[in-house]
Amino acid sequence: MTLAASLRAIVGDTHVLERAAELLVYESDGLPGYHRTPSLAVFPANADEALAVVRTLASAGVPYVPRGAGTGLSGGALADGAVLLGLHRLKKIIAIDPERRVARVEPGVVNVSLTKAATKFGLHYAPDPSSQTACTLGGNLAENAGGPHCLKYGVTLNHVVAAKVALPDGTVVELNADDSGYDLLGAFVGSEGCFGTALELTVKLTPNPERVVTLLADFTSIDDAAQTVSAIIAAGILPAALEMMDRATVGAVEASIYAAGYPTDAAAVLLVEVDGAAAGLDEDVQGVDRICRAHGARDVRIATEPAARAKLWQGRKKAFGAMGRLAPHLVVQDAVVPRTKLPSLLAQISAIGAANGVQVCNVFHAGDGNLHPNIPYNANDRDEADRVHHAMVAIMQACIDAGGTITGEHGVGLDKLRYMDALFTADTLDGMCRLRDVFDPDRRANPGKVVPIRYCRERRPNTQMAEGGRRMADATGGQL
Amino acid sequence: MTLRPASVAELASVITDAAAARRGLRLIARGTWLDGGAPVSADAEPLYLDAFDGIIEYEPGDLTITVGAAMSVAELDAATAQHGQWCPLAPWGGDDGSVGATIATATAGPLAHALGLPRDLVLGVECVDGTGKTLRPGGKVVKNVAGFDLVRLMTGSWGSLAAITRVSLRLRARPAVDETWLVVTDAAADLCQRLRRSVTPPIACEVVTRGTLGANSPDGLLVRLAGNAAYVAAARDAVHGAGDAQRADASAWTPVRTAARPQATRAMLDPAVRALNDGVKHAFDPSGILNPGIMG
Repeated sequence: MTLAASLRAIVGDTHVLERAAELLVYESDGLPGYHRTPSLAVFPANADEALAVVRTLASAGVPYVPRGAGTGLSGGALADGAVLLGLHRLKKIIAIDPERRVARVEPGVVNVSLTKAATKFGLHYAPDPSSQTACTLGGNLAENAGGPHCLKYGVTLNHVVAAKVALPDGTVVELNADDSGYDLLGAFVGSEGCFGTALELTVKLTPNPERVVTLLADFTSIDDAAQTVSAIIAAGILPAALEMMDRATVGAVEASIYAAGYPTDAAAVLLVEVDGAAAGLDEDVQGVDRICRAHGARDVRIATEPAARAKLWQGRKKAFGAMGRLAPHLVVQDAVVPRTKLPSLLAQISAIGAANGVQVCNVFHAGDGNLHPNIPYNANDRDEADRVHHAMVAIMQACIDAGGTITGEHGVGLDKLRYMDALFTADTLDGMCRLRDVFDPDRRANPGKVVPIRYCRERRPNTQMAEGGRRMADATGGQL
Repeated sequence: MTLRPASVAELASVITDAAAARRGLRLIARGTWLDGGAPVSADAEPLYLDAFDGIIEYEPGDLTITVGAAMSVAELDAATAQHGQWCPLAPWGGDDGSVGATIATATAGPLAHALGLPRDLVLGVECVDGTGKTLRPGGKVVKNVAGFDLVRLMTGSWGSLAAITRVSLRLRARPAVDETWLVVTDAAADLCQRLRRSVTPPIACEVVTRGTLGANSPDGLLVRLAGNAAYVAAARDAVHGAGDAQRADASAWTPVRTAARPQATRAMLDPAVRALNDGVKHAFDPSGILNPGIMG
């Protein structure tokens, strides 16, 4: 029996795709610019089917790439000749326990669906990536996803209590945050599908705050806005979110259907959300307002009603979408710098953009120092694509030089492989390969991602690598 | 000859030699958790890590700090207090232990429920594994998903995978108001649960029994309220409404914390998870020389 036939026997005829035209849909994820074609795609309906698929792939020695909604921004869900294992049909919320404030879910549950289901208990799921209306919790787990409200509430790692995982060899393990022994759950979160596939997750639910206030401050200087970010943090106020958008981003948003009423003539706007107990909240709101004005804010709008707040947020959450209007392609970048370095980094990014003749749109989690410098461009224009590439390499190097990192929440995937050895020593990368080999000694799960292959070369896996995996290794070689 | 390396390179060479000779090493910075319920083989040679001390980098505006792993929690607290900041580790056992041991043992404390476990507070480490390789996973920024998470792996590994030499931590601003109250009650556990679920939760609450806080101290709940003045005022009202509340000194937390000790729990693991644990140990300390006996 062929592999496809074995898989059809598990999931049914219509849930295995083999034809090139059908697979075309899966050749990209949320990051435009990369195209990789899987050998076939399989979509199990539930955890039992998913496990049977993983076991079939293990017996066949075939590499595979797990995929949720495909909203990832680092090319992590691309399968180059490997089997694509789509998990979006596993979308059951198994149980919500309002007493313990946890939910058990399948990996294909869309992030915002969990919050909607938890609303009647006065609870929500705190990590809120901008793609939350589409992205899945399994994908969030694999990427250790963040979002605006992670400033106060923490990233996915801080909200996952347990995961039932199918290891690439088909063994099922339950990893719990309070297990004795090593923190294997902590190691699994953010492993980008290279350590196995979660069949079920248990996540924390967070009580809805008693009161929420959203402020929009507009600045005539991007440097003033950046200084304000540091000042708010240094003053000891911990906003729920502290986001920044520059003029280019505001312009794109306001010209789109997501227009939020941002001032288009501002050099930058800060979106600040303060939440928590009603008691003491006004003091924090006044504190933010005062600090913004002291740092040159022209105006500070304060929204307390849900509709007004949602409108202010819409522009931020849909900013990537709005940028889609500017050019056919968009590089969405993700890097983190120490918060005091934001003013200098924003100045450097602006200079790098100008030097390369490209337009950088900054929209980012300023409170965390988590930059998203994005460049709309036309990938079919070779010269422009080269200039974008040069600008991005220079920006990432500037972030590394400032003591930062190359990804705060999007993951390494394929796109960031090229920066890994600027950030980590060869020994550290080797250590990462060793950890991977504990979970996936055959290196069949999402091969060729996260750590450049050459750093794992001395340490050959203990069995032969399947053909697809070898092709992937050759194709990337860690140098995309 | 006492093993007391003065640099990471020296430490790497000590570990490489020990691995070649399959000679066990017992990692000691301040020696405060040696009775942590996880016996290291008696013949393991002490490896003193106290040279890895002091502040390496501290930019208060970043709300992060990088310190030598042997720095005590008390010293970390004093250094950050000068800038109105803190790292709310406050581990069980007190503040005399090293930051490195607090991370290595993942020892939490009364603040962990509200302000995070060690795994939530550590941003990066430098360490030398059992093969003598120096690893520097993570970083000093507050969000970082670059690479597989060796930081979480080292946190709570009880020195059985690597000797931690440097730790980067997330800091917070110290609260403007920070008060401790003792609520005299014989239903302290229920009250703790209720307060944690109130709109003004405390940053710590611990059940205390008669005599814990000194001769004749009553049964009750020790509660720590922190935030801006208006928040703490509301939280204080909630505490007063719950029973006979007496203002206590911050030092009341010391006997509560020192009464508990970090423990390497040995709960039964599922065989498949046990196999992964063994695999991790073998990957980072194949000769089994680091704190032998402690994790396996």
